[in-house]
Amino acid sequence: MSSDRAPAENRLEHFNADRSRLLSDVERRVVQRLSNAAKAAGPGNASSLEYVINDVCYNEIRRLEAGSGNDAALSRWRDLSRRLLAMTEAERVAELRTLVAYYGRDVVGNFDPRVYKFATGIAPSVLGFVFSPIASLRDGVQSIAALDARISADGELDVVRACAARGTIVVVPTHSSNMDSPVIGLGLLRAGLPPVTYGAGKNLFTNPFISYFMRNLGAYRVDRRLRFELYKDVLKEYSTVLLENGYHSLFFPGGTRCRSNLVEKNLKLGLLGTTVTAYKNSVREGAAEKRIYIVPATINYRLVLEAETLIADYLAEVGKNRYIITDDEFSRVGRIAEFMRRILVHEGSVVVRFGRPLDVFGNEITDDGESLDRAGRVVDPASFVQGADGQVRDDDQRDAEYTRALGRKLAVAYPRLTVFHATHLLARTLYDAIAEACGTRDVYRLLRAPSGRMEVPMTEVLSRLTALRALLRAHPEHGAEHPLLAQASDQAIIDDAVRGLSSYHTKAVVTQRGNFVVVGDLKLLYYYGNRMAHVGGE
Amino acid sequence: MSRADTVGIVGAGPFGTGLAAALARAGRPVVLWSRDAAVVAAIRERRVCARLPHVTLGESLIATTDPTELARQARFIVMAVASTDVRARARELGEFLDGNHIVVHAVGALAEPNNERVSEVVAAGISSMRIGVLAGPALPLEMANGTFASMVVASQFDEVVSEGRRLLNVPPGLRMYGSKDLPGVELASALSGAYAIGLGLADGMGVGPGPRAVMITRAVAESARLGVAVGAEAKTFTGLAGLGNLLVRSDRSYASQEYRLGQQLAAGSAVRGADASARDIEGAHAARTLLKLAERHKVYVPLLRGIAGVIAGSLTAEEAAQMAADTVAAQE
Repeated sequence: MSSDRAPAENRLEHFNADRSRLLSDVERRVVQRLSNAAKAAGPGNASSLEYVINDVCYNEIRRLEAGSGNDAALSRWRDLSRRLLAMTEAERVAELRTLVAYYGRDVVGNFDPRVYKFATGIAPSVLGFVFSPIASLRDGVQSIAALDARISADGELDVVRACAARGTIVVVPTHSSNMDSPVIGLGLLRAGLPPVTYGAGKNLFTNPFISYFMRNLGAYRVDRRLRFELYKDVLKEYSTVLLENGYHSLFFPGGTRCRSNLVEKNLKLGLLGTTVTAYKNSVREGAAEKRIYIVPATINYRLVLEAETLIADYLAEVGKNRYIITDDEFSRVGRIAEFMRRILVHEGSVVVRFGRPLDVFGNEITDDGESLDRAGRVVDPASFVQGADGQVRDDDQRDAEYTRALGRKLAVAYPRLTVFHATHLLARTLYDAIAEACGTRDVYRLLRAPSGRMEVPMTEVLSRLTALRALLRAHPEHGAEHPLLAQASDQAIIDDAVRGLSSYHTKAVVTQRGNFVVVGDLKLLYYYGNRMAHVGGE
Repeated sequence: MSRADTVGIVGAGPFGTGLAAALARAGRPVVLWSRDAAVVAAIRERRVCARLPHVTLGESLIATTDPTELARQARFIVMAVASTDVRARARELGEFLDGNHIVVHAVGALAEPNNERVSEVVAAGISSMRIGVLAGPALPLEMANGTFASMVVASQFDEVVSEGRRLLNVPPGLRMYGSKDLPGVELASALSGAYAIGLGLADGMGVGPGPRAVMITRAVAESARLGVAVGAEAKTFTGLAGLGNLLVRSDRSYASQEYRLGQQLAAGSAVRGADASARDIEGAHAARTLLKLAERHKVYVPLLRGIAGVIAGSLTAEEAAQMAADTVAAQE
């Protein structure tokens, strides 16, 4: 596998040497913060250590009771819960320290430079033996090579590279698929950007192939089943410490894979908030020049591996989606290999588009990374966390507001960075035609429409597509066509999209029958069309 | 006194001067910035300001034409300027502020031409995001004389609210309340000016206390409806910035600019929309801009529509009154 330019500095190479220090920083800070809060609040308060530890016990006992086996763990938590009342405060602090260290070790990642070199193709032979005995992994390795050839990375690459060299970047992409992690990893490589560390749901580690890479390429584990505050504290502190130590990171602000395929608007800001905290800590330590930059990015697939499961889940439970899906296409290595072999046959099947970085407060920046205010003046970002005396002031509510402002900026950036493939253009065109003929855009009503309504004359498809493309050109803030489509005729786009939409999914999404384009799977048509739902009025 | 304890005020109009006088009366350090060198000289030399005559300004107040001095001496800044002026002044001031300053505005209208809330206009002109609004039924002369008065400071940032309350609270005169409902307080304040014109109209037409009370009640209900539609809290409109402001701006003895405009319109010596003096009155400006906002959000505001119609000259006072009377909902 090749990359277009020399790799950027890989700070993760120092990660293993740093790991113990990072973990002990996390432990020290979390214990100190919670102990101080407990002291300030006094006994019986929600901040007391008794309450904090009891919250952990209660949630762990519930989780283990709902599962099966592991009686030993269950009785350990019950025992702790019983002892808690009689403990002295010093004993509680010691117990808290043990718990924080335990969850810290559970979260922390690993970075094996040999695996990185292997994965990025610089020395493929070095670790080839690791995979050879296992057929599914061999498939996966071949697929990775295929995937790399199909990924293109574009956007504000020069500015992002400058930011990565000057400070720490946090890449915040949209999230459509579990393939996003390897895809963005390869996208960064192709763009000449350094590798990043990121939090990955523990469920992703069930796939042996992906799991191997994630374990060894700096991913840390996020167990979404652990819903108590202490675990979130550990996770956030770990992210903060990583950023302060200059480790480039990646968060998916959408939280989970987008079920509907709409461009994300409602962002989860929890981990994103650690960027303000990390920068504030650096300013306090006298290192205000350790800048952190937020890099919005979109990952745009011609076809999405798990589209069928995601849209079925969305339509079945709009508004109350399952947060963790463990039984989708991603859990089957063979399906991934098939996806890569059969689907990613087109150049640029996946486009990773990087936007212009922002500072942690959502301010835009100059080409060399200086923050700009909304009137375009250079501003010292340290001043945003200082009080009247120029000293850094802790204020969680203020920082949360800054993070909300950043989230609003990202929500505006994503549509502009969205790249539309032929599949999206045709899906939106057909959905518009069917909706107009049926007098509703409600997908549930359209799913009950007679089959005759699912046939759209080619002439109508062509005229609608022409209009849609013109609309897109007039509104760059809504996104842009894939660069390879710029010179393509409307008919060529339709042919390309029909080929794609009829070749991978269990049931052909669309087919061409004589002078008609026929929709075979309206749910998936809706899914792919949704990527363009924000374009134009409905 | 430290920078943290100093209040900067932009604009030496009646409100800015009244607030400055109230703070200085309590010994609070104040830096008043005006571009008018004569105003600054009068304050420095004679401790008086032409926009609020007969008030002697305390020694803890300094006046300046230098924005650098304002930015250096005060972290907390109140923008007391007209809505038509706020964009340019924010941009100008922005050259001297950084991300550390706190800026609250005291503008009771939306900003033209795009009907933005004034906090959004201020945010576009300065670096700091710590922005808020100051509103309520505090009259300049009453503040300056140390009479009991109250206002509310609102912001999404708790720090802005707590600093506003700490710095502007100067008992026994000025008492400050806090709110997180920034859009609500801005809208309530702007709407009160528009409805004050309506009450001037009603009084000019000689309506009795019963219909007047109905009108005030319906004005508050309409305001809350519009506010909720744009993400504000309904209760804000019955608070100091809403009902409080409306009662003072429509008071017969105080006779605000808006109230007087309403009376003139009722008397037939109409100051129509094309007239320059109507454009200068914040309430008239608010009626126009807020009606557009209501139309955009499809909120039913018959009272506001009537007031804006009379100002624009498309309705007579009688027609507006009839329109309001004819739109009685089945349930309150």
